[in-house]
Amino acid sequence: MNSFFGKMLFVDLSTKKTEIRDIPTEWVELYTGQKGLGTRILMEDFPVKTDPLSPENRIVLSTSIMAGTIVSSSSKLAMVTKSPHTKTISDGSVGGHIGAELKYTGYDAVLITGKSDELSYLYIDPDKAEIRPASNLKGIGTFETETRLKEMVGDGQVKILSIGPAGEHLVPFSCVCSERYRQLGRGGIGAVMGSKNLKAIAIRGWLDVHVPDIEECMKVVTEIHSKGGITDPENPIYVEGTPCLVALAQESGLLPTRNFQKGTFSEAEKISSDVFTKIRRNKKACFSCTIACGNYVKTGNAEVEGPEYETIALCGACIGNGDPDKIVQFNATCDDLGMDTISAGGTIAFMMEMTEKGIHDFGIRFGETDNALRLLKQIAFREGMGAEAALGTKALSEKCGGNSFAMQIKGLELPGYDPRGSWGMGIAYATAPRGGCHMSAYPIEYEAWGELEPFTYKDKAQLVVKLQNAQFAKFSMGVCDFWPIGSDTLGRLFEITYGGKWPRERVNKVGERIFNLQRMFNVMAGFTRKDDKLPERLHKEVLKDGAPKGIVMPKDAFEKAMDEYFSCRSWDEQGRPTIEKLKELNIEKKLIDEYKKALNG
Amino acid sequence: MQLKFNLSLCTGCRLCQLACSAYHERVFNPEKSRLRLIHEYRYNGIHIDAKWCILCKKCEDACPEGAISNNQIWMIVDVEKCTGCYACIEICPMKVIVVGEEGKVLICDFCEGSPRCIEWCPKGVISLKETAIAGDEAVK
Repeated sequence: MNSFFGKMLFVDLSTKKTEIRDIPTEWVELYTGQKGLGTRILMEDFPVKTDPLSPENRIVLSTSIMAGTIVSSSSKLAMVTKSPHTKTISDGSVGGHIGAELKYTGYDAVLITGKSDELSYLYIDPDKAEIRPASNLKGIGTFETETRLKEMVGDGQVKILSIGPAGEHLVPFSCVCSERYRQLGRGGIGAVMGSKNLKAIAIRGWLDVHVPDIEECMKVVTEIHSKGGITDPENPIYVEGTPCLVALAQESGLLPTRNFQKGTFSEAEKISSDVFTKIRRNKKACFSCTIACGNYVKTGNAEVEGPEYETIALCGACIGNGDPDKIVQFNATCDDLGMDTISAGGTIAFMMEMTEKGIHDFGIRFGETDNALRLLKQIAFREGMGAEAALGTKALSEKCGGNSFAMQIKGLELPGYDPRGSWGMGIAYATAPRGGCHMSAYPIEYEAWGELEPFTYKDKAQLVVKLQNAQFAKFSMGVCDFWPIGSDTLGRLFEITYGGKWPRERVNKVGERIFNLQRMFNVMAGFTRKDDKLPERLHKEVLKDGAPKGIVMPKDAFEKAMDEYFSCRSWDEQGRPTIEKLKELNIEKKLIDEYKKALNG
Repeated sequence: MQLKFNLSLCTGCRLCQLACSAYHERVFNPEKSRLRLIHEYRYNGIHIDAKWCILCKKCEDACPEGAISNNQIWMIVDVEKCTGCYACIEICPMKVIVVGEEGKVLICDFCEGSPRCIEWCPKGVISLKETAIAGDEAVK
């Protein structure tokens, strides 16, 4: 017996049909869980050219094999879909307790398709799966939605994924929220739920999760937890949380300021970790997590679990806001409206620069944070100037100009690290399957904050490939980003929860396979090398202060690094995985045949 | 013997509950843990609450089959005698008696002296305090 139930719940919102389907064991052996398994389920007989906001698009919820067990930080829930913001494959994961809750229902995954004829929510427990009306929650923020839904279900312990007005109004950077302050932030998955008239998913589980040998499991996990810093009371992720990165980013000159015009922020100290630690009321952990990164903070005007570094960077420095109280307000407002703080902050920063440069007057300038806070609600309801902002940076630049400083990749607004301060990050951004994202690899840890020279592409392609493969294995086999785990340990944890032998070579292969699988999706959807590009500003404009001061990050050097990257991945010069590579990775023949057909057609 | 919780340190990871169900029931399932934990956001911030066996002996008195006794340190359930009437669950003021295999009830036995919840808590929330059963403060 092991922790894999082998079952997924299939839900067609159009026909209101729900059924239990088997998950092939082969899919676990190849793609393990969470990100990987979710991607595989999405891609089964899925036409990749599907309009992301059509009923035919799918949402896959997927847990890791370790979810619900005693392994630390292992219960995140992935959601995988085709993004309305980038048109790429897009997956994200949410912490809190909902991943474990889904596992305890006896389903490893849920596949949702179709469109409900009225605003609805999906209820799942081990005995039933029902599509229920939710029209009374129309236009309601995610905080109140959760409270009211618990009453509607009649169970305070139910865990919920919900969208706010932004998702209902199909804002392409709307997110999905859980337990108030945990988000699946990026890529507009909230809009996909909105397009399906799916306001929320309520989950309650109570089934046992088994492992092959419980004594062995407890023994091995005890040993592993005691190493690697995840139970260390001095771990900065526990003591400060991600705001500890503000000082580091400022010092390295890569804190995106005023829409990436600068890499240092004159008011950085006012929004540093110390400031947020002072207003902290509680620490909060996700299910089974020994670390506890969550900070519940409260100011006179707002409360939130956060703000995380990305929010401080994009809704602080990037819009010229040095007021911590207003960052907390920005964060809480976005959470309640169901909007990604990174894309919201990034888009508003772009509008501010457009206004200041006189290219298009959006009526908002850097430092006008109260104005920005008002704009958030207008975005979520697509009212007034919010209707423009709701397009996102890319579409807005195509409509109004400013393309060279539209800080996005494949449509996804860049997170809180200017790659001019750590060049490997540029390769990571350009090649991340879901667009401008910092989660596929974090070379900055080795460059600006490590031993490697940050201002060169030399050896960075290899580094990024290695890190991406490791991240994709980690996010599929199943632990959180904040556990700096090695392949050996990850494999050992998989052995004691699932079974079999998982040496480091096999673990690394899992990561590489899933990275290639997502690239196959994107290539079939029409993406090639031409889309793996950085905003022009990064090549053409030189930062005038901080560590990267005066250093040019030339485009030809970037292109050369991309050649190296593709070669490292055994992809062709257009960035398409070769058939030989896919076969070597044991990707199933059925998928390779579909891919071949798309390449030829 | 009694558990003591310093809830100001609790982060709500529920490892205590997982260790409890793993040690006693050989599965991972917080629903089968012999202690209750709530750590969630409500309107007024984080609501934290824990419930554990306070050795009040009300279950022992309520059991019509005489299936529950104590050894002066912890409560003992005789599974042969337990009929699954759940009178104990009804009366338990802390609501920490749960139903296990074949409908038999489960009550905290302090892991017979070395509670696994204490061992697994990463933040040092739980500790032991020595008290005589059905004695003084425990019943309050």
